[in-house]
Amino acid sequence: MNLFTSSILLTLFMLTTPIMASSTNFYKSNKYQHYVKNMTLLAFIISLIPTTMFIHTNQETLISNWHWITIHTLKLSLSFKMDYFSLMFMPVALFITWSIMEFSIWYMHSDPNINQFFKYLLIFLITMLILTTANNLFQLFIGWEGVGIMSFLLIGWWFGRSDANTAALQAILYNRIGDIGFLLSMTWFLSNMNTWDLQQIFMLDQNSSNIPLMGLTPAAAGKSAQFGLHPWLPSAMEGPTPVSALLHSSTMVVAGIFLLIRFYPLMENNKPVQTMVLSLGALTTLFTAICALTQNDIKKIIAFSTSSQLGLMMVTIGLNQPHLAFLHICTHAFFKAMLFLCSGSIIHNLNNEQDIRKMGGLYKILPFTTTALITGCLALTGMPFLTGFYSKDLIIEAATSSYTNAWALLLTLIATSLTAIYSTRIISLTLLEQPRFPPLMSINETNPLLINPIKRLLIGSIFAGFILSNNMPPMTTPLMTMPLHLKLTALMMTILGFILAFEINTYSKNLKYPHPSNATNFSTLLGYFPTIMHRLPPHLVLTMSQKLATSMLDLTWTEAILPKTTAYIQLKASLLTSNQKGLIKLYFLSFLITMTLTLLSFNYLE
Amino acid sequence: VSLIHINILIAFTISLTGLLIYRSHLISALLCLEGITLSLFILAALTILNSHFTLASMIPIILLVFAAREAAIGLALLVIISNTYGTDYVQNFNLLQC
Repeated sequence: MNLFTSSILLTLFMLTTPIMASSTNFYKSNKYQHYVKNMTLLAFIISLIPTTMFIHTNQETLISNWHWITIHTLKLSLSFKMDYFSLMFMPVALFITWSIMEFSIWYMHSDPNINQFFKYLLIFLITMLILTTANNLFQLFIGWEGVGIMSFLLIGWWFGRSDANTAALQAILYNRIGDIGFLLSMTWFLSNMNTWDLQQIFMLDQNSSNIPLMGLTPAAAGKSAQFGLHPWLPSAMEGPTPVSALLHSSTMVVAGIFLLIRFYPLMENNKPVQTMVLSLGALTTLFTAICALTQNDIKKIIAFSTSSQLGLMMVTIGLNQPHLAFLHICTHAFFKAMLFLCSGSIIHNLNNEQDIRKMGGLYKILPFTTTALITGCLALTGMPFLTGFYSKDLIIEAATSSYTNAWALLLTLIATSLTAIYSTRIISLTLLEQPRFPPLMSINETNPLLINPIKRLLIGSIFAGFILSNNMPPMTTPLMTMPLHLKLTALMMTILGFILAFEINTYSKNLKYPHPSNATNFSTLLGYFPTIMHRLPPHLVLTMSQKLATSMLDLTWTEAILPKTTAYIQLKASLLTSNQKGLIKLYFLSFLITMTLTLLSFNYLE
Repeated sequence: VSLIHINILIAFTISLTGLLIYRSHLISALLCLEGITLSLFILAALTILNSHFTLASMIPIILLVFAAREAAIGLALLVIISNTYGTDYVQNFNLLQC
């Protein structure tokens, strides 16, 4: 009897306590925020216990305590699966959420509904943990929908702004399209394997698992913003920066990837689906990296960077390396959250200015944020021995030395160099040269509530890769040998990107601002994808339905064909054939007089 | 021949006269139409029952069915007229011509 199960259940329960406290008077006080933050910190510490036990003894647990319902032969119960993935993800997610909550005490300080904000963040965290620890698909779906709902509420936090409402609705719609695939897979599992439990699904080795995996792929694409279902992620930057840092960089958008990782026993035997995932991921990573090159809003650049990294994770899953993808999820969470927190610090200090063309020269003014931003960007591009190196470099190595689709590989490599380019763009436009913002700004970063989270995530960005990859038990055989030029591929592409970016930066600094070329327009307008797809299909569908349903069926077939035609024909015919004038009383009187005269004359004339 | 027959025939004649001479409302004509059909029905029923002509005893029933249909159509016309004119005064009938 050890502490494993108790710690897990205590962690999950502890996080629900502030929500239960929200109905009391404590909710209205100022201490609620610190209470929530402290609860997350304690949950993080307690969740380290099972993780350490897992690292030490490889102990996995399945907690199945409450039998909810049995419908015919389907038994649904509340069950938590604590295996490699969920045990490693929980401390990471809790650590990052703790840092973000501390940051948002500073960021959302002037908001009157700040307690509600914290409650929403907490509900989001709980649903994300439900998603990751779920053992059956029903519970996973509960977590899935939960994070979708909380994303809607948090993106539309400033709901007086119509752009925020549109973005929140867009997020829900795109997630819903993916949910169709999820429901398809659930139905297939129910009808073919009679279960929604992951254990039974992995045990029953079916011949063709094409259909459920084809269903899970759009679900992952919708949640993780792959190409075709991606526009919601840059639009989701309408939410406050802590929301972007938590949901749309570390936790929610990896839910889709996490789903595919969970199903790796099914995926490793299914080559076509792997190829599909690989192609989708490669396309996503290149397309979003291209879109990130010319964006002008700092949060959108980081959002596209997230999308590009998600494409990279999809590529890894397509290479049949789910554990590498998971490692990339964990390490990516650190530096991406830190990048968002740094951008939040910059935005708040420049009085809510988000356009990088109006920032500059922050190198000397905000030294700590500068440090964190540069470290984050370097970790993102895969600088050797920072965090990103341990996962990203391994992914590129696995890609270059596996028997895979050369096109997908090429796209991934190009996207790697583009990563370096847009990172350089962020750094040079926000931090270097002369300031381009109005001079009377009170800029300081002395508040410990701002500095401590960034400091923690900075240490995480530097060391977490090392710590995680040394403590994670290897589940697959790592790649041992490869030619030198393949080993150096990622590094070469990154350095190439940096050199290119610096060159372009220096020789276009002093020239007249050019009119944007066609390529720039393509990149800034996100490849025209939202412009086309948000207007054309709805217009076509609505026009078609108006023509078919209203005009054809309602007005024509059931109204105009028989009733109105008959009435019309009758009217015309009667007008044509009659020449009466409607003098009814005259006609009746004449009839009466005629009848009377006839009767009288026949009576008296025999 | 008998007094009852004459009674009913007089009722018929009065209703007929009322149908052909009416002052202002269309509904009075419809009412007289009902009277006509009613008197015809009673005449037919009495004659057939009196002469025990059982074979023809469905004639009053059929007559009743047709009378009901006729009344329904008359009321439908009344409703349409009332929709377009607001009243059923006969002096309006030749106002709107098409």
